[in-house]
Amino acid sequence: MKLLIVEDQLKTGHYLRQGLTEAGFNTELVADGSTGQQLALSGDYALLILDVMLPGRDGWQILQAVRGAGLDTPVLFLTARDAVEDRVHGLELGADDYLVKPFAFSELLARVRSLLRRGSAPPQDTSLQLADLRLDLIRRRVERSGQRIDLTAKEFALLEMLLRRQGEVLPKSLIASQVWDMNFDSDTNVIEVAIRRLRLKVDDEFPNKLIHTVRGMGYVLEERPA
Amino acid sequence: MRRLSLSSRLALLFAACTAVVSLFAGVLFNRASEAHFIELDQQLLEGKLIGLRRSLQDIQSSTSEVKLADELSRQADLYLRITGSDGQRWYDSSAHLPETLALTPGLSTLKGDRTDYRVLNAPLYPDKPDSPQLTLLLDITHHQHFLQRMQHLIWLTVGLSALATALLGAWAARSGLRPLRRMSAVARGVSAQSLNARLPEENMPPELAEMAHHFNAMLGRLDDSFQRLSAFSADIAHELRTPLSNLLTHTQVTLTRPRPIEDYREALHSNLEELQWMAQLVNDMLYLAKADHGLLMPSREPLNLADEVDVLLEFFAPLADDSHVTVSREGTARMVGDRSMLRRALSNLLDNALRFTAVDGEVRVRITDQPQGLSLTIENTGDEVSEALLPRLFDRFYRADPARQEGSSEHAGLGLAITRSIIRAHGGQIWCESEKGLTRFVIELPRGD
Repeated sequence: MKLLIVEDQLKTGHYLRQGLTEAGFNTELVADGSTGQQLALSGDYALLILDVMLPGRDGWQILQAVRGAGLDTPVLFLTARDAVEDRVHGLELGADDYLVKPFAFSELLARVRSLLRRGSAPPQDTSLQLADLRLDLIRRRVERSGQRIDLTAKEFALLEMLLRRQGEVLPKSLIASQVWDMNFDSDTNVIEVAIRRLRLKVDDEFPNKLIHTVRGMGYVLEERPA
Repeated sequence: MRRLSLSSRLALLFAACTAVVSLFAGVLFNRASEAHFIELDQQLLEGKLIGLRRSLQDIQSSTSEVKLADELSRQADLYLRITGSDGQRWYDSSAHLPETLALTPGLSTLKGDRTDYRVLNAPLYPDKPDSPQLTLLLDITHHQHFLQRMQHLIWLTVGLSALATALLGAWAARSGLRPLRRMSAVARGVSAQSLNARLPEENMPPELAEMAHHFNAMLGRLDDSFQRLSAFSADIAHELRTPLSNLLTHTQVTLTRPRPIEDYREALHSNLEELQWMAQLVNDMLYLAKADHGLLMPSREPLNLADEVDVLLEFFAPLADDSHVTVSREGTARMVGDRSMLRRALSNLLDNALRFTAVDGEVRVRITDQPQGLSLTIENTGDEVSEALLPRLFDRFYRADPARQEGSSEHAGLGLAITRSIIRAHGGQIWCESEKGLTRFVIELPRGD
């Protein structure tokens, strides 16, 4: 899966490429709009990450060219400007998502994954599983090592999200948005508390912990060697 | 084209008014004098007519001629013409009388080449149908001269008084408009550094006092905004200084000598925390800046406030459970507004309420649908906020605890400011009350439909 980053700020571009590459994506970086557009039009990419302000052609022009050529490659915009008109303009032109600088890398990664997943049909799972943790989507039941765990509706939704995206670091903002539909910056520590309470039920009594905190970035559900 | 100055405009208007008034007075006076002259002449002529009729009882007698001459000689400027009933001229008292004379009965004025006459026609014998006609002519040239002089005088007065009032008016207008010049002098002196200049409102004329008042109010608002802007910039710098200083020191200290890898990791984590705090701060500041510039434009979607509050209470449930705080909501109301913005505003308030509620306390949300709008109160048990601090709660960077403890995940203190901006963007207002162990935030919102 190839990603194209068009970003003229060298430092930003470099770290984005490094981060995405380490997250397992084949990433290409160009710094000017014209080259970016040429590459984007080749249709070889699964996702375009475009800065709005670029030398040569700006991000919007690239997006227009791409959509004009009939390509529906998902496009994620990065911008330092946060005017409502900008956002509306970008979305009107057919951008798929929009991140305002400064953003957290974990947030970007989560959105990239969401966008890449969007095209494919959602898996029709009846249950989700990791190690000895099993979540039954039909009967809305959770078991660990055959032991029934009682969760509230939101705890269930939270665990389902963690399970569906196991191995991914999920930033708090994404969790708030997906589980509680809270789509705004909030400095509340509700998510921390919710995760702690979920851990209490899911992890505390078992020797191998599955829910992990990635300090400063978010939470991940995965099996780690003891 | 440059418009006339106010002073010259006023002066010209004054002059025009005076001219019109004096012209009117002059014309009136002229008319009155003329009417008066006519009346006098008529009395005189009618008096003479009686005498002449008596003298001419029998026109054939010789004495009548003598009497006639007598009668006429008593008034030097009076002339007589007698015309027979057949139109034949019988008698002229002077050779210079005009040739043709209208014989319409009654008084009329005749303007001759050199002489003007007042003319009275009357039958000699009022009872006989074919009586000879008497025509009395009174020389009124001197009256006409007088009236003409009057007219000249009137025009002169009009001209002079207009000129005089124009000059006086210009002076009066200039001195009358002095407060305006004072205003402009103050306005000239206003700059970002001296927004505290004010016009003296008490010795302003009433017409300008209101304007001066508004002008001062405008300066006041500008001053206020400017102060706030300056304080805001100072606050940003101050707020960013601590985390920046932490970042600098920590990074430099970490780099001074080789360390185990764990220490580097720890340093990066610590930096990450500071950076996230700064990013959040900058985002919040930008949000507030947008609100200040009126760029916070709430979308309009129909909302059920009870549903929104319930969703938020569910979101905060883990936090509330954790500190054994009971949360509840009563009442419902529908409104039109921006869901995501209102959620953000209310979430700040709920977060705040939960933070200041003691263990085993209570947070109550009450929605009231009133005819003039709706109100929403969020009430929590716990320590009261002191009276003096209430109005400052919504200030930027205001924190109940003045010293932010380093390393704590303390909030930047922008939450309530953001909440207020959102409520205001919806045309509502918010305030806080605190008494008897209850702190209550009250929001009043228009329904927006």
